[in-house]
Amino acid sequence: MSIEALAAQLAAAHRERTSVTIVGGNTLRGMGRPAATATGILSTAGLNAIVEDAPADLTIAAQGGVTLRTLAQTLAPHGTHVPFDAPVASEATLGGTLAAGWLGPRRHLYGRPRDLVIGSTIVLADGTLARAGGMVVKNVAGYDMSRLYVGSFGTLGVLAQVNLKTLPQPERRRAFAVRLPEHTRGRAIAVLSSLRVPPAAAFWIEGFAAQIDGDDGLEGRLLVFLECSATILEAATRDLRSALGRAGVPETRVIDAGVRESFERAIDAYVACIGERSITYRVNGPLDEAENAALGAIELARRFELRTDSLVDVMNGDVILRVSDLDARALGSKIEMFDDALHDLAPRAIVIAGNHPSRPLLNVWGALPEGFERMRALKHRFDPHGVLNPGRFVGGL
Amino acid sequence: MLHERLIDALGADAVKTAPEDLAVYAFDAYTTGRLPSAVVLPRSTNDVSAVVRIARAYDEPIVPRGAGTGLCGGAVPACGGIVISFTRMNRLLEFDPVRRRARVQPGLVNLELSKQIASSGLFYAPDPSSQKVSTIGGNVATNAGGPHCLSYGTTVNHVLGLEIVDERGDVFQTSIDDTGYDLTSALVGSEGTLGIVTAVWVRLLRQPESTRVWLATFPDVEAASDAVSAIVANGIVPTALEMMDRTAARAVEAAFHAGYPTDCGAVLLIENAGYEDDMQACESALAAIARERGATSWRAARSQNERDALWAGRKGAAGAMGRISPNYYLQDVCVRRSTLPKALHAVEEIARTYRLTVANVFHAGDGNLHPMLCYDKRDPSQVQAVIESGNEILRAAIALGGTVSGEHGIGFEKREAMTAVYSTDDLAAMARVRDVFDPQRVLNPEKIFPSGSACPEVRPQSA
Repeated sequence: MSIEALAAQLAAAHRERTSVTIVGGNTLRGMGRPAATATGILSTAGLNAIVEDAPADLTIAAQGGVTLRTLAQTLAPHGTHVPFDAPVASEATLGGTLAAGWLGPRRHLYGRPRDLVIGSTIVLADGTLARAGGMVVKNVAGYDMSRLYVGSFGTLGVLAQVNLKTLPQPERRRAFAVRLPEHTRGRAIAVLSSLRVPPAAAFWIEGFAAQIDGDDGLEGRLLVFLECSATILEAATRDLRSALGRAGVPETRVIDAGVRESFERAIDAYVACIGERSITYRVNGPLDEAENAALGAIELARRFELRTDSLVDVMNGDVILRVSDLDARALGSKIEMFDDALHDLAPRAIVIAGNHPSRPLLNVWGALPEGFERMRALKHRFDPHGVLNPGRFVGGL
Repeated sequence: MLHERLIDALGADAVKTAPEDLAVYAFDAYTTGRLPSAVVLPRSTNDVSAVVRIARAYDEPIVPRGAGTGLCGGAVPACGGIVISFTRMNRLLEFDPVRRRARVQPGLVNLELSKQIASSGLFYAPDPSSQKVSTIGGNVATNAGGPHCLSYGTTVNHVLGLEIVDERGDVFQTSIDDTGYDLTSALVGSEGTLGIVTAVWVRLLRQPESTRVWLATFPDVEAASDAVSAIVANGIVPTALEMMDRTAARAVEAAFHAGYPTDCGAVLLIENAGYEDDMQACESALAAIARERGATSWRAARSQNERDALWAGRKGAAGAMGRISPNYYLQDVCVRRSTLPKALHAVEEIARTYRLTVANVFHAGDGNLHPMLCYDKRDPSQVQAVIESGNEILRAAIALGGTVSGEHGIGFEKREAMTAVYSTDDLAAMARVRDVFDPQRVLNPEKIFPSGSACPEVRPQSA
């Protein structure tokens, strides 16, 4: 499919007052509300061309349907990467990842996905093509429209092409798996962000045994990823191990083989579902409150007699909490009440995964943001007939 | 009466109405606009709200102004109105070293922020060359860059949230952690056309463990540009990669005695920061690349003083131009890094055609050119030559796939050039955002968007 064909499909929908649900790799299908009205499906799968690979400029332009895996494979020979860290990279698309506003665990080091976007071509609700930015790395000519489209959940337009800044890949990666007895947890987590070489990613994990390596038995575990030059890898390793040792952690196991795969499994766990009997939330808050936020949410789930798997991105303060029950019916009897109680505790909690039939009844986007009235006005100005993903985004945008 | 209403609201000392006072606000560092009806100096967000309400009642446009160091008229009244100057809203409101962030008023001077928090080991990364005087609010309006945005990113990457007074005088907050549309990113770089920034949450970074500065000289700018491309293509993104041609290096050396060689064709100033061991490895890699690309000399700053001296020369380069020319026009275009040699060649040709001296001091690592065209404003033919060659440089950049502003903004000086980069549909999408935030076009009117009938949707909607 061409961008023009996609534009024609939207123009027709706009004319005929019908609407579309936009689908990329469908890997984040657990995000957002169901469409408010019956819609056609608009797939970006055919928009899968690398438009321009410019390694000498450290930039690349790709169509919205290109998968993150393809993008990574294109960049790998140049020694560069675009660390978006969205789950299921083999299927997740560039456009979908950006539209969903995905935030990965390495953003504290490499920046948010939006910070790498230098240009875009968007198909607006009436089928008009609008370009923003370009292929230069600094550009202040007009509003930064590309960043507005990032995180708009496909409700302002369809990202047909995205131009990106690429980053040099780190020379070395190394992973560390650590058992984390409760009495060591607070200190262990705290030392990570003050290390001389802060980890590229670090997770405190409880559960997720089927997805992520390591058996935590009754204790949680830490999974830490270092990314740095060969020159400082050993020093960084020593620092990390001795800091964790001082925090009282019993043993730090070094993993050098399959580091990338291990990292990807942790990312995939964000959206891993247990049949129809789980719902996964993301709660983001200040880094120094992440541990307590996670403990509070876990404790709440236990009060509802829900099972929990949790993953806390301790470098960014994201808490990923999967609640589940014996079967879909058992979960269905509690999940709405749990959802209310969780939002009392963490008003901005959002749902990121889950196939349970009651998911549409949950407060999947959390509390309305302060600027919501302006967001609604923007939606109306860009898509007055509600062609694009009607009602799927926060507050029914 | 407008003046009385403003004085009632803000006090007599916060309102300027005398023609000789107003005249100052018709200018920025380069452009000239129209006299404002009044200039106000608010002390608080409430003051700003009050001014906006009064302005609306009297049908006066509103022009926010930081330090007035802009070069394209962003802070200059294009059609009169009330100038809101933020010089008195210059405080650091909150500093949270644990969460590495600060909340500041828009009138706080950029460098002042990093100075006030220096003892914490943190710093604010965006560093436009004007940072000794330019304000955070002005930097937010233009999404200011600076030498170090090569690795740290421009202002938008360092803004966590904003407090905004809207076109009705109401206050709202944005945060990049909000669900929904990223209003913060839309507002940063909007040159005061979408709302008036009254507070900014900024992200702070840990000061690097080790900072190195090197100076390489080359026989000509082409060789230096090749070296820049080679550095980037080798996967090294230093914290800064700045170039100066012979004309600029001579002016700087005459003014600052920074230690720049004056007998070479181009000077490359390289800074990198990070872990001490990495910097040593980086030094050998950079020196090898420079040598391969024909560097005639290579020098490492050995102390903080030497580093500061090399940087002082770079940051003061525009000021040093006074040594060689009564006036200069500073252009700002950005091209793909790999097209730098072509772009520099084009600039040189254009200057030759118009018989102008050009000096180049620029952010080579980003492909962000800053040709300075020397002229004497008392000679009308030279003024005309500068205007025409400035436009030709824009066209040359566009022809190379570049853009008409890398970091200074569009203001009113460059707004007609927007049609050369963007289609009517592209601009109409931007205008939709404007329609939502400023339907009556009262916030900094006649900026960014081209005038004229080429873009019907760009004009205000009929109410």
